[in-house]
Amino acid sequence: MRTLKRLFQFISIYATALGLLWGVKIVYGFSDYLIPPPLEVLQVASQNGLLYVKAVLDTLAVAIAGHMVAIVLATAVGLVGRLGTWPGNLTRTAAYNLQAYPIVAVAPIIFLFLGDGLASRLLIAAMICYFPVLLSFIGIFAKSVEEVEHFFRITGRINWRLELSIRTFENLDKITTVIVGSGTMALVGTIIAEFLAATNGIGYIIRKALYQSNLAKILVALFLIGLCSSLYLSLIETIGGRIKIRLYGHKAEYMIFCLPFVWRLLEAQVHTAVF
Amino acid sequence: MHIACRNLHYTYPGAGFPVFSNLDWSIEGPGFFALFGLSGTGKSTLAKLISGELSPGQGEIDIPNARRVLYTHNAERIPGWNTVGAHLRSVTPASKTSLLTTILKDYGMEAHLESRFSGLSMGQKNRINLARYLVQEFDLLIADEVLANVDEPTRNHILERLKTLFPQKTFIYISHNALEVARFSQAIYVLPHGSTAGTNKIHKITGIDRQDGMETPEELVQERVYAILRSAASTSEPRP
Repeated sequence: MRTLKRLFQFISIYATALGLLWGVKIVYGFSDYLIPPPLEVLQVASQNGLLYVKAVLDTLAVAIAGHMVAIVLATAVGLVGRLGTWPGNLTRTAAYNLQAYPIVAVAPIIFLFLGDGLASRLLIAAMICYFPVLLSFIGIFAKSVEEVEHFFRITGRINWRLELSIRTFENLDKITTVIVGSGTMALVGTIIAEFLAATNGIGYIIRKALYQSNLAKILVALFLIGLCSSLYLSLIETIGGRIKIRLYGHKAEYMIFCLPFVWRLLEAQVHTAVF
Repeated sequence: MHIACRNLHYTYPGAGFPVFSNLDWSIEGPGFFALFGLSGTGKSTLAKLISGELSPGQGEIDIPNARRVLYTHNAERIPGWNTVGAHLRSVTPASKTSLLTTILKDYGMEAHLESRFSGLSMGQKNRINLARYLVQEFDLLIADEVLANVDEPTRNHILERLKTLFPQKTFIYISHNALEVARFSQAIYVLPHGSTAGTNKIHKITGIDRQDGMETPEELVQERVYAILRSAASTSEPRP
């Protein structure tokens, strides 16, 4: 249902934008070369559809991988950033300063060092969505949920895992929203990387179409990007929703079994990162 | 148990005036005591200072024989991923399991152990929260409006049973209900109406200290209630 709603929203916006484009074409009498007619767009879609679908899936796969890397990294660094000691202060200061820099400007340097392969696209995708996730995670992990934590603190039961479990649980909605938002940024990062220098993906196809001044190809590519992005984001929302139902509902034991495992994993990462 | 505050000063960071200034106050436990006052007079602040959640700016708080001081308030929640029963079992020491069963039965909460905390009424939440504190090791429990949402008959029953179950413990019960504190407390400590110079005196009024099943003459209760209310409204210039 959520997926259908997102798809419907995207298709409505896309159709409206196309309608406006063709409206402008008719009003100002632009040529078919500048703004292709609907039939030409359909022809491009039928001739290149399969190739474009493969390209957009390639882009999506890189974006998802980059997104996952960013989330894991942001969680690990966020755990350090929540600390009141010097590693925490240093991490927070570094994160706040670095996020102010437009990361996409660093992308050409990455291509210089890593070439135009998968590694560059993955790294740029991860970097672009990493800082918003990190800052949100630091904020969530560092802020006490006083009305829940008070009992554990005053009875001497509090430890960092319990504290994080409480804060994560209490902020699940916020975390899902941040992850969904950063998913879009991961896709944007991947496409930017493909615009710049890659030889694969839908961004590369758009770049080629741009050189040929072929708006029909660009419109088809944009449609597929929107479609894939809507599907991916609704998948994340669905996963977030399922987790919430499990935790709030009758299957909450999942949380009890799952969280200690996750924290042990993260603890090992933090330990490696700090020491 | 002896609790003594000497020359206590406390000002919240960024506040223009102190909550307490040069306050001397003491309680001799065990027993059930009440802290009464109008809103904003510093009851919760004093509770947090005694429990160590806040540190006094100047002066000292001495509780020589207390191994553990607990403070609870009525906004507390249990983690949402657990049922009430699972949470209570996980925080109850093995030696207190039968006490937990007794308390839950007393509080009429046995039927709600499989519920989520969020699914309980406000009064039920209050009872569950108090129950989990009562099964901890403590010498002094400061209960800040912990039964604020519980209906009167149940609240009276809980307070009576508290005294029967824990005769050797010290309770400081914070409430806005003058009738309730007059009936059940051994002594009521009334914080006077606020002053910009900070509270420096707490009035003591002897309570009726009603025990389980004991009848209390209504005239006596009324007399104490008036004394408490007069004392609470007594001072001084209102805070800005």
